[in-house]
Amino acid sequence: MKLRGGLRRFLGRDSMIGFLFVIPILIFILGLIAYPFLYGIYLSLCTKFVGYPSKFCGLDNYVKLFYDGFFRRTVWNTIVYTSSAVIFKLILGMIMALILNEKLRAMNFHRGVLLLPWIAPYVVTSLAWLWMYDALRGIINLGLIEMGIIRIPIPWLSHPQLAMFSVTSVNIWRGFPFFGAMILAGLQNIPRTLYEAAEVDGATPFRKFIYITLPGLKHVIIVATLLSTIWTFNDFANVFIMTRGGPGGATQIFATLSYEIGFGGLRWSEAIAVSLYPLPFFGIIIILLSRYLRRE
Amino acid sequence: MEYQRVFKKWGLKKWLIALLLFLFIILVLLPFYWMACTSFKGFDQLYGNESPLIPRPWVLTNYIELFQKTEFIYWFRNSVIVSLGATLISLGAGCLGGYALTRLKFFGSSTISSSILITYLVPPAILFIPLYVILRSLKMINSLWALIITYPTFSIPFSTWLLMGFFKSIPKELEESALIDGASRFKVFLYIVLPLCAPGILAAGLNAFILAWNEFLYALIFIQDVKLKTLSVGIQELILGDVYLWQQLMAASVITTIPVVMFFVYLQKYMIEGLMVGAVKG
Repeated sequence: MKLRGGLRRFLGRDSMIGFLFVIPILIFILGLIAYPFLYGIYLSLCTKFVGYPSKFCGLDNYVKLFYDGFFRRTVWNTIVYTSSAVIFKLILGMIMALILNEKLRAMNFHRGVLLLPWIAPYVVTSLAWLWMYDALRGIINLGLIEMGIIRIPIPWLSHPQLAMFSVTSVNIWRGFPFFGAMILAGLQNIPRTLYEAAEVDGATPFRKFIYITLPGLKHVIIVATLLSTIWTFNDFANVFIMTRGGPGGATQIFATLSYEIGFGGLRWSEAIAVSLYPLPFFGIIIILLSRYLRRE
Repeated sequence: MEYQRVFKKWGLKKWLIALLLFLFIILVLLPFYWMACTSFKGFDQLYGNESPLIPRPWVLTNYIELFQKTEFIYWFRNSVIVSLGATLISLGAGCLGGYALTRLKFFGSSTISSSILITYLVPPAILFIPLYVILRSLKMINSLWALIITYPTFSIPFSTWLLMGFFKSIPKELEESALIDGASRFKVFLYIVLPLCAPGILAAGLNAFILAWNEFLYALIFIQDVKLKTLSVGIQELILGDVYLWQQLMAASVITTIPVVMFFVYLQKYMIEGLMVGAVKG
């Protein structure tokens, strides 16, 4: 079938075959992202219990959550978890990238090894760390006692603040290699001539870093930070496997609370409302990211 | 400037970098070592806390029991089926879509590019309950199909971006000459473009496989039958209430990690490129 003249020009030269080729992607985006998303918004505006038909109730779920102590604590936990994890991932990733950028032998090998935490399955890394943090037989406490640093085992996962620290540390460990690899790619894109010119002018390494390296990395750092913020904020597997949000809700974050209300309490609309609460925040990040990613 | 001269003279910088690299590698590998080490320990040693860093004696009972006494084989099989299925779908959609977005001019192509980016960014944590409700009404809960059709949403964006980079690198003239010779667009795509992009297709496929293999949240929610669980959720069956069968858990973790590491060796050099190059130009 050939389209003619104006319509063809309006729809584009390859409109028919173009549409055909993107149909599979469209089905996935519409069916498994857009539809569940809109349906989720609808459900969050209803009272929906498992087995009963849903009834519209407006913003009731959101208002109720606003005054809920557990929910408020979850908001705070998620902010602490996300911000501290992202900051440390950025710092460690920066150090990792600077090390790997020093014309090492076998750079690809080292980068590959350092990327392992990032590609290993969540279950594996979270379980391995859970076992390392084990109070009585975990290698961390055994090691600290062996070295004489502590006498009594530290309750890494059963003390509220320590549990937050432990869970966050695993997220940092998993995520810093991503920053490292991104920043490394950015470092290798900075023209060497800039450094050479600076050396001729007698710049110190510190000044070179501040005036050449950092500005050259600005784009990559912003993109990596935004991506990591969205991933960390919604990190379910790590917290679920290590603490299930405990002890006593001390490490409960949005995703785990939503799961608990939805599948533990079977109050689905409330659970969806929990997960949709940070939507404006995601919206801002997504808009920023698409602007940065599309700018060449 | 004095300290800098000392720094250079003694090669201090080199040593400092080597030391830091060493520390990083220890930090990264220690959990993996602890995991592998535990998986070879006997029951007595684990509870005796003796020589925690070296299995003494080395035993394979944990692995043997894993295969004989648990449903591990089923979980492994399910993970393979789900990951392969999701990979094939993701590759099909990614190849077709990526080609259309690089080479074909049609109305709405930029909208689709942006929605692929959004798909990449939308957190699964806000979709899992509505998806559960939808899949339940389709009677797909507790079936591997639920995972096979939902996992491509994670891998399609990366597949598309990575392949777009490859499609762009193919000279237009090559395709145009075939078109002039009378081949259809689809034939050009199938017989000229795809074979030239084989390395990219392999990389996109491995990435899709790894993403599906590692996925946790959907696997936890969409499957309840023990024999239908995938590895990432099935392994947790080895936690009996408060009792963690650590040796078996770690043995299962070792086996789960191996395919990912193998694939990653090839994938490594494309991983960051796909994200950066593809996304920046998408």
